[in-house]
Amino acid sequence: MSELNNKMQGITLGLTPCPSCGKLSVHSDIHCKRCGKALVLRDYSSLHKSWALLITATILLFPANLYPITMLVNRGQIRHDTIFTGIVHLVESDMFPIAVILFTASILVPMLKIVGLTAYLIAISFRLPISKQKLMIGFHIIEWIGRWSMLDLFVISITAALVNMGQLLDAKPAPAATAFALVILLTQLAAKVLDTRLLWDRLESKDDANGNT
Amino acid sequence: MEQECADNSVVLCRSCDLVIRKRALPSGVRALCPRCHTTLYDTPYCSINGMLALCLTALLFLLPANVLPVLELHFLGSVRTTTIIEGAMAVSNQGYWIVGIAVLVSAVIAPALLIWSVFCQILIIKYRLNSPFFRAVLKRLLSYQGLLAQLSMLEIYMISILVSVFQLSDFADIFLGMGTFCFGMLFLVTLFLQREYNLEHMWSVLDE
Repeated sequence: MSELNNKMQGITLGLTPCPSCGKLSVHSDIHCKRCGKALVLRDYSSLHKSWALLITATILLFPANLYPITMLVNRGQIRHDTIFTGIVHLVESDMFPIAVILFTASILVPMLKIVGLTAYLIAISFRLPISKQKLMIGFHIIEWIGRWSMLDLFVISITAALVNMGQLLDAKPAPAATAFALVILLTQLAAKVLDTRLLWDRLESKDDANGNT
Repeated sequence: MEQECADNSVVLCRSCDLVIRKRALPSGVRALCPRCHTTLYDTPYCSINGMLALCLTALLFLLPANVLPVLELHFLGSVRTTTIIEGAMAVSNQGYWIVGIAVLVSAVIAPALLIWSVFCQILIIKYRLNSPFFRAVLKRLLSYQGLLAQLSMLEIYMISILVSVFQLSDFADIFLGMGTFCFGMLFLVTLFLQREYNLEHMWSVLDE
């Protein structure tokens, strides 16, 4: 075991963790001894799946932001709000902290996710010399924070159920809600299906110099 | 070499496939991958009885949290209440069923399944039910655990309730009821339960 150094990867030893239960297996086993799942050394198709999901999400991001996401009837007056105008409205009515929360959850996080994942996929697909450490830290943040975009949808569902009094006061979701829900779902999936080990295989020799113990 | 490493002396990083020699950790410490900072493993902490207590508490709050109204709105003398499920139904009825399903899954179905699943796992492990049937059940539950944990978003719903309170207090009077309390408790208990829960450990029970 003395040849076990810092740079050695499981693939060179013929070892692989089970995708389902994480048990370390010899790759020639084909199936995991503990949970019976098929073992894969690397999932190369995950790159294409991830690209497909990400591109779809990017397209949907436009209707999600440009179309109204809520409709409010107040004393006979109908107002349509996109995500952005809704937030602007909150700022105008002095609810700044809420506006910041909603801005982060519904605009900043989805955008960051799409930009981050695109950078990540480009780095793998075109072997760009971007620091892997930085990409990976970004990826962890994306995975962790991505769920918070659901906030807006929850708020819409609570409001739609509570505020429902005909012409006097009524709140309803509007077309962008579906697009927004799909953006969240697809970006989450795109991050989930991706086999991140591909990044470390492909950029192996180039970019390992910058800071690693 | 392969066989030599396939024992428990090394781990592979899930994200970057680096081979790392396992070491003993002091309690309350997590091992991170030195190259990409993914969590590798943490110290064995699995007080089954503590988790069972948390699980039972969560089960206790599960029903009232879903059935009792989480918010109450008083507007010009009329009172409106909503539960999580009614909220999901309201958007579905407007034709936004994708949103409705997303709300229903992440705030009702996934958390409920998660708690029941952990409860069953704990019972199987605590009472050492070793028959092939129970082993198969445990295996099945464990392989869906990650998905359920990812899908359940109680904490986000909790914040959403608060955001809605502030937003709506402009138009009308908002009241929190027993349902809000139960939901808050459910969220807290589930938070602690998920912190104590260690999937790696649960899997290792099957090795014995």
